[in-house]
Amino acid sequence: MSSPSNHDPRLDQAAASDESLLAAHEKVLGKQPDEKAKYKLLPLNLLFLFSGLIFFAGTYLNRYSGLFDSHVFNENALPTPAGAATAVKVDPLVLGKKQYEAICINCHQANGLGLAGTFPPLAGSEWVTGSEERLIRLVVYGMTGPVKVKGVEYSAAAMPTIGKVKDSAYNLSDEKVAAVLTYIRHEWGNAGAGISTEQVAAIRAKEGDRKPYVQDELLKLP
Amino acid sequence: MSSPSNNAEVTAVDTAGRWPLLLLLASGLSWLVISGVLALVASIQLHSPTFLTDCAWFTHGRVSAMAETSFVYGWAANAGLGLGLWILGRLGGSPLRALNWSVVGALFWNAGLTLGLIGIATGDATSFSLLQLPRYVQPLMVAAYAAIGVSGILAWNGRRTDGTHAAQWYAVAALFLFPWLLIAAQSMLLWSPVRGVLQAVTAGWYVQGVFTLWLAPLALAAAYYVVPKTTGRVYPSYEFAPLAFWTLIFVGAFTGGRHLIGGPVPAWIPTLANAACSLLLFHYLVVVLNLRSVFSAAGVAARFISVGLIAYFVSGSLDFITSFRGVALVTQFTYFAQAQQQLAVYGGISLLLFGAIYFAVPRLTGRAWASGAFVQGHMVLVLLGVALLVGSLGLAGWIQGHALNDAKVPFSAIAASTRPWLLAVTAAHGILLLANLLLLVNFARSVYSVCCSCSQAGELAFRQPSTMEAPTS
Amino acid sequence: MIKNGFFFFVGLLVAFVIGWGGIALGSHKQLGALAPYFDDGEGSSFPTRPQGVAARGQLVYADLGCASCHTQQVRRPDFGSDKDRGWGERQSVARDYIHQGRPQLGSLRVGPDLTNLAGRKPSAPDAEDLLKLLYTGSALHPSYRFLFDDRKIVGQRSESALRLLGSLAPAPGHEVVPTERAQTLVAYLLSLNTSYEFPEARPVAPAVAAKEGAHK
Repeated sequence: MSSPSNHDPRLDQAAASDESLLAAHEKVLGKQPDEKAKYKLLPLNLLFLFSGLIFFAGTYLNRYSGLFDSHVFNENALPTPAGAATAVKVDPLVLGKKQYEAICINCHQANGLGLAGTFPPLAGSEWVTGSEERLIRLVVYGMTGPVKVKGVEYSAAAMPTIGKVKDSAYNLSDEKVAAVLTYIRHEWGNAGAGISTEQVAAIRAKEGDRKPYVQDELLKLP
Repeated sequence: MSSPSNNAEVTAVDTAGRWPLLLLLASGLSWLVISGVLALVASIQLHSPTFLTDCAWFTHGRVSAMAETSFVYGWAANAGLGLGLWILGRLGGSPLRALNWSVVGALFWNAGLTLGLIGIATGDATSFSLLQLPRYVQPLMVAAYAAIGVSGILAWNGRRTDGTHAAQWYAVAALFLFPWLLIAAQSMLLWSPVRGVLQAVTAGWYVQGVFTLWLAPLALAAAYYVVPKTTGRVYPSYEFAPLAFWTLIFVGAFTGGRHLIGGPVPAWIPTLANAACSLLLFHYLVVVLNLRSVFSAAGVAARFISVGLIAYFVSGSLDFITSFRGVALVTQFTYFAQAQQQLAVYGGISLLLFGAIYFAVPRLTGRAWASGAFVQGHMVLVLLGVALLVGSLGLAGWIQGHALNDAKVPFSAIAASTRPWLLAVTAAHGILLLANLLLLVNFARSVYSVCCSCSQAGELAFRQPSTMEAPTS
Repeated sequence: MIKNGFFFFVGLLVAFVIGWGGIALGSHKQLGALAPYFDDGEGSSFPTRPQGVAARGQLVYADLGCASCHTQQVRRPDFGSDKDRGWGERQSVARDYIHQGRPQLGSLRVGPDLTNLAGRKPSAPDAEDLLKLLYTGSALHPSYRFLFDDRKIVGQRSESALRLLGSLAPAPGHEVVPTERAQTLVAYLLSLNTSYEFPEARPVAPAVAAKEGAHK
């Protein structure tokens, strides 16, 4: 190496002229392939390394790309299937309470006792905790005429149509109806089993569009 | 004038470009000191949060934005462009043309930057990292940049020989690509902003582009030129240099999404960034293999470039390691990420630029540096400062990251456990400020000695460089 | 390729455009038209548009650089302690930000995440807490006195004046009143609430997905 003899920090001497620097490096790049096949080890290693890195990058990308889906934020998860927007499981009691507080509370009150003589109670009511068939129909389609609850006669019930049927006052989805029924069968010391969305949907499919029930129709049901 | 400009090592390129290029370097070094002061204030606020913050101009957010902006657009841009033009002129073989454009461009660039920093201080920052300059100076910056850069492109197109050198590729790439990058980022973030998190994705792409398409190429151009000039040897494994170059240019910007791991963007964005980080390792490796002869070379430039090269390689490897989700879980959102950034821009970019500056300035002024003691003082202090800065930020970040992941550790405990290291960061910024003041003073004295053409005692003469031999195979 | 000047520039440009197109434009194509999600259970769409005052407050948040110490992005419950620290029940997703003029995701957590500041349970801060923190600062938080007016009480004491005690209390006959900027900033902070659900934020069956993803 033609190293400069003095190393004064004030001046670094140049060891090569610009022209020769250009020419010498250009020669390396312009070099013909090694005809005698004396491949140097380093270039081969580097090429292997480069291929290896490409392989790694490709594999990694494939594994963690989330299929390049715009809705995959967790690289380990599947894309949410189209139309499965309800993947979020909402607690029916929470959803039901929300519905109750939006609709039912006006008549049946927060404590579920209704108003004596006008609105029947839900707490401890045999209609609520009893037959699921009756309860679902009553709420989805509504009810008119006299009704007897916990031994007290209410002369003119006016239960509105809640479900998603013709002339409904609220058009609640089956899921919400199921949730609110589950809620009232669970609250205020009631201990009925939960009601599923499928049960509501089945009854709605069976009955189609019809007018509100009267007490006798419901009592005929199991 | 008594300067030995008749020497073959000080060429017509140097004498013709002297004042425009010295203007760029002078602006760069001045901004370096200014950003050092701002960074010092910002680092004090990290352990003493109420320091100066009752004044709106000095809230931590604004000060750190100003420090970062003046560092990149003031120091690295000016110095990198000055060196890039010088290298293109020298390797092009003829004096730079259109240098009056460069002067006008440099004046407007620095005026725009000054205006923009005042804008940030008064609350007009855009709040995008590295794109903090207010909207109203952004078009000016593009125009000024184009004016500075045109001279380099002319030198490339009008070069004497058909042959090219790696230093030229990197310099031309940086000169040519940055305006596109800046315009694309401006239009997608400022003029017609994209929606929601897309801004974060685009901003991440831009930040990475600033590093891999602009600053790193400028610094590498400087290193690729200065190293064979000081060692006199042809690069080993040079046949891989083009591949390494194109890897950086093609893949580099894809690594931007690694800061969004676990964030509100689709998983493929950070994953793609991680894959790109692994490909980029090839670039870092080849650069080190090419430039490795610098480790055994003597001289100030060689020593700066050696350390800068190690820092550059380590920062690339750390980018790769921390882009894995398991590691990012600890390092993300902590000082560790800042340590990585400092390692890249201070350790990598700046040290390479310092090395090239020590090589270039004597040739531009036609005489040696004014003070050898200042040169060595600067070198010792900068290396110490960078090591302390990166080391303590990294440690603080590692502690912080583990503590953040334990929900039982309150923020007061995190602050207490990182405080000693944050104090060390402040010390490091103080050391760096002092070091860079030495450099600025030494630079000013060296330039002044040309102006007053006073002769120095013990004048050092340039030696006639020898001819480089191509390796025989 | 490098020898020929023209192709060199074309190559550079192609490289640039691929990066730009792949990341910036690619993600824009995917997420640029993201719409609010109608939550049937709640009966309304999320995210909601920020109200006027809160939207202006975001500008104050941005220009003071709050994002240099606070993030606004919650990571998923099994990734970091974000959930355990009470910052949010679910991870933030792209849809959370579609109404924000300039999302402040942030990159450093010197302080807590603020994505869901107003929805934190059980202890979301109220305006008084936030204003006091901004005025007095703490060992962990800067004080921003310039967001407040220390002025002489003329006539009635202002309703919005801070109730400060002890050494922090203003001189007798004076009161500390938050400026409009402070008010909008606090209104913005109190509008940060992401306690609603998106289907993509609660992905299903991660373990199964891992296998299928690898074989695709």
